[in-house]
Amino acid sequence: MRRLGLAALAALAVVALALYPLEGTGYGVRVMLQLFMWIALAQSWNLISGLTGYVSFGHVAFYGMGAYSTAIVIVRLGWPWLPAALLGGAMAMVLALVIGWPCLRLKGPYFAIAMLGLNEVLRVAASYFEGLTGGGLGLSLPTLHASVPIYYAMGLTAAGVTLLTYVILTSRFGLRLMTIREDEVAAEAMGIDTHRYKLYAFLLSAVAPGIVGGLSARDQGYIEPISVFPLLMTITMIVMVLFGGKGTIWGPVLGAVLLFTFQELVWARFIYLHQLLFGAIIVTVVLLMPRGILGVLQQKYNLPRTI
Amino acid sequence: MNPFITPVMLGQVIISGLLAGSLYAMVALGLGLIFGVMRVLNIAHGPLLMLGAYVTFWLFSTVGLNPYLSLLVSMPLLYLLGMLLQRFLVRRVVDAPELSSLLLTFGVSIALVNVAQLAFTSDLRAVEYLTGSFVLGPFAFSKSRVIACAIAIAITVSAFLFLQKTRLGKAIRAVSQSREVAQVCGINVGRIHMIAFGLASALAAAGGSLVAVMVAIQPEMGQVYTFKSFLVIVLGGAGNYPGALLGGLLLGLIEQVSSLFLTTQVNEAVAYILLVLVLLVRPTGLLGGRAS
Repeated sequence: MRRLGLAALAALAVVALALYPLEGTGYGVRVMLQLFMWIALAQSWNLISGLTGYVSFGHVAFYGMGAYSTAIVIVRLGWPWLPAALLGGAMAMVLALVIGWPCLRLKGPYFAIAMLGLNEVLRVAASYFEGLTGGGLGLSLPTLHASVPIYYAMGLTAAGVTLLTYVILTSRFGLRLMTIREDEVAAEAMGIDTHRYKLYAFLLSAVAPGIVGGLSARDQGYIEPISVFPLLMTITMIVMVLFGGKGTIWGPVLGAVLLFTFQELVWARFIYLHQLLFGAIIVTVVLLMPRGILGVLQQKYNLPRTI
Repeated sequence: MNPFITPVMLGQVIISGLLAGSLYAMVALGLGLIFGVMRVLNIAHGPLLMLGAYVTFWLFSTVGLNPYLSLLVSMPLLYLLGMLLQRFLVRRVVDAPELSSLLLTFGVSIALVNVAQLAFTSDLRAVEYLTGSFVLGPFAFSKSRVIACAIAIAITVSAFLFLQKTRLGKAIRAVSQSREVAQVCGINVGRIHMIAFGLASALAAAGGSLVAVMVAIQPEMGQVYTFKSFLVIVLGGAGNYPGALLGGLLLGLIEQVSSLFLTTQVNEAVAYILLVLVLLVRPTGLLGGRAS
């Protein structure tokens, strides 16, 4: 019965969100579009780090890769934005393969440091290959008023990656990933090819940031190396997931909605205290609720793992 | 890009590399100390260095204190701040997975930068104290760098002697080898953690005070030192204290030598590419450290 109620609620939310651009203001649509972006980003970080425990501390690299791939094919080859953004997702996946194959062998903090380093390498590469990327001046995309179609594309990406998380979490593949998280040596002893499954999770977690990066590059119309590879963005994804509950299906969504709303409502009024407040939020979340809202609820009320 | 590389130029960059490297080694020793003792990667290490630089700047511009003497103020101040950070925040994530400590120290890091922006504004500040260079044959060395190098070496050597010879230093090394055994031997691990964090912050502060004379001081100056320190401890082997020294010198050398061949922009990436390569080929560092 409860399940039916939840499903009805979810369906209602989807319909409301789908109809929103008909009524909403341009500003409102842009805000929702960004919320979708954060949901997709948080959810994809959750796929690799929430499930396997490997901390991708440079996840924004895939976002930047998608943004650049998309912008380049739009500007240089005149592609339409939708296939361009999908290409962004594919390129992010290729990057994940190249990075993940060697780096996923690294354990603990070393993987985190490697991801951090790779993000910096990409940022420098983006400003170095001027012929392709426009260097530090960035790339300006031709003007296009497509906020509403991009809103739907972004929403679908967010929904898609949430669905993917559900499918993975309820599958044997998900169980294997969580076994790796709990005890990698034991997982290997049970016959799980840990490196292969980690790599699959990593590849899947790169697609959505790539697409989202492409979509927001198209939406903003201008990208440059510093704006698409910020460490702060990785941290924001992580804090959203942690706040909502990592390793859960709805945790990242909840965390993204709450933190993003807070950001829109509160931070805008304290521009000068922005970082200080965010720092305080991070410290509070890490110290007081490392399991996140859903993690705590799960434990307290014995909720199913697939929440 | 320079096709005309003469032996003199090479000699010059090697010396500059070693001068810069000694500073990296000192700063990274602090990061390595925290990592070795409690397996925490302190992202706030660079911002602590920035605070050290501001201490020097304010003492210099308000009371005209010699920037090198201001080390005697900045190091104890940051030692205290480090102890407090450890006591109230970092202590709680020492045994948590690495994600918690990375995030926590990142939170502290952006909060410190923001506080510095509010308190000191984002204006570029400079301590104009020692300018000009020593000239020796065909080589020229900027005075401030030579003095910074000498002081950094002195501080690093004292830190080593402290770790090697004193009872407290031995206790710190014991905790970094095995916390449980150290505890069984009657070492107060909590206290050692606080001291280690304090010392590390003092080393960062020393780095800040020394670079204050050479570079522009601004709230975001620290981050790059965090990354460089990561690289140094990865190069030298995490938890291996002499390794940090070697790693620092090596980083200085590589940066300077590659600057002969590469543009500044790419040169920035050399360090990171190296970081990733070393992690992949030899994750325990050049001198061997402890894998996680």
